[in-house]
Amino acid sequence: MDTSGGKTVKLIIGLLVLVVLGWFFYSISETLTILIISFLVAYILEPLVSSLEYRGMARTQAVLIIFVVIGIFVAGLIAIVIPPLVNELKTIEHGLSSGSSAAYFSKMETWLHDQIPFIDPNTMHLQEKVTHALSGLTQSMFSIIGSVVSIVTTLIIIPFAVFFFLKDGRDMKKAIVSMIPNRYFEMSLNLIHKTDEQLGSYLRGQFFDALIIGFLSIIALWILNVPYFILIGVFAGLANMIPYVGPLTGAVTAIIVVMISGGSGQQMLLVAGAFAVIQLMDNVLVQPLVVAKTVNLHPLLIIFVVIIGGQFFGILGMLLAVPVTGMLKVLIAESMNSMRRYNIV
Amino acid sequence: MGEDTLWSNIFKKEIKKDENIYSVLKRVPIFQDLSWRELRYVERILHRRTYKENEIIFNEGEPGVGMYIIESGSVYIKLGRAQKVLAVLSKGDFFGEMALLLDSPRTASAVAGSPLKMLGFFQPDLFSLMETRPQTGNKILRRLAQMIAERLRQTSLENNAMKQKLAQYEEKTEKVT
Repeated sequence: MDTSGGKTVKLIIGLLVLVVLGWFFYSISETLTILIISFLVAYILEPLVSSLEYRGMARTQAVLIIFVVIGIFVAGLIAIVIPPLVNELKTIEHGLSSGSSAAYFSKMETWLHDQIPFIDPNTMHLQEKVTHALSGLTQSMFSIIGSVVSIVTTLIIIPFAVFFFLKDGRDMKKAIVSMIPNRYFEMSLNLIHKTDEQLGSYLRGQFFDALIIGFLSIIALWILNVPYFILIGVFAGLANMIPYVGPLTGAVTAIIVVMISGGSGQQMLLVAGAFAVIQLMDNVLVQPLVVAKTVNLHPLLIIFVVIIGGQFFGILGMLLAVPVTGMLKVLIAESMNSMRRYNIV
Repeated sequence: MGEDTLWSNIFKKEIKKDENIYSVLKRVPIFQDLSWRELRYVERILHRRTYKENEIIFNEGEPGVGMYIIESGSVYIKLGRAQKVLAVLSKGDFFGEMALLLDSPRTASAVAGSPLKMLGFFQPDLFSLMETRPQTGNKILRRLAQMIAERLRQTSLENNAMKQKLAQYEEKTEKVT
């Protein structure tokens, strides 16, 4: 009786702790997002720091050099990319309210009415809806950075956190390990090592895949003279993390933009073709080389976590959903594996 | 004056503690080739653990992650269900070094014989050392290889001696029959 009562109390306390923790993490989700982003960036950069250390450099020195190089690169990128990006966003909204696209939308509405007679073109307000959706997108693009406290704090805190994760990451790991009770110490150490190996290759793979696809998309769209090619390319690269739906979303966005800007049918076909070729290259060349196959997430799971991420944390949540799920999967699978090997479960 | 005593006391204590750890580390064969600077770096990555008397360090059959160096106290190395004591180790001794190279299960159990302080050096630490400080990592690895080669030589010698004994025994039994 006593033991079962004790168990119930323990269970209730455990559940309460979980609920409180859940509430706590949810209420600090903005800070948590900064931490997760910093952690992911530090994780991706870690091998670079280690390779400089391998060449005889002190760790702090290595981190500083990488920061300076990335700083110059990012500053250059901002100088080159941001002004056209802002222009692109402005012209999207301007273009939508201008005469040429208005004519295009009314043409489309009549075409739709011809095909499906029971649709009343007067109630469709296609242009209004697309403008609304796109201005929503523009806003949420800025809210990616804007929602997290403020642009300035984020831009300062993230590099700051990345710097210390890189410089003191090992000491932090050691400090965490030192708090683990003796009984679980070796198991935890093993677990951290195994998770680290798998997670590192998974996250770096995802990052390089997104980078390569984004870069290829930008080049292809630029060659095909598609407006807002940088914005769509960046989006396509990030969306590529989501299987099936991601690549399609990138392609569809590009085609819609071509359509809105009054591009020819031939241009649309070329854009679709370009995305098909990029996908083929991704599947045949890029993915087998850079993406770790050890973390196989089921597409259905990915789509659901992307939706959940979006529900809780907006666009940023959608983008972080895939790597965070990958991280959790590795952690849970390795924990179970380790506990079995150490006869704990 | 008072301040001077305070600071000198703090530093004296620190230096004394460090000397103790370094003298323990210097006694460990795999760290013998390391310079003072390298030893300081290795000391930074070692895990410091404390155990109560009779606390289990690891069980036979569990996956091994690395080696332990005894800073103070004693350790019983036990084997089998009967927990037969194979060895009693004390300050400066080390055990579990095979797990630095092999992912195989522990061949015996280790239990704290008294309140115990140990330094842990584990496979992930050795691998990361080889990645970031290859010279230091190589020195440790070379010593480890020498140690294992020496053990192999000893085992071969013992094996040969056993074979000879067995041959003599067989000869004797043949003569008797």
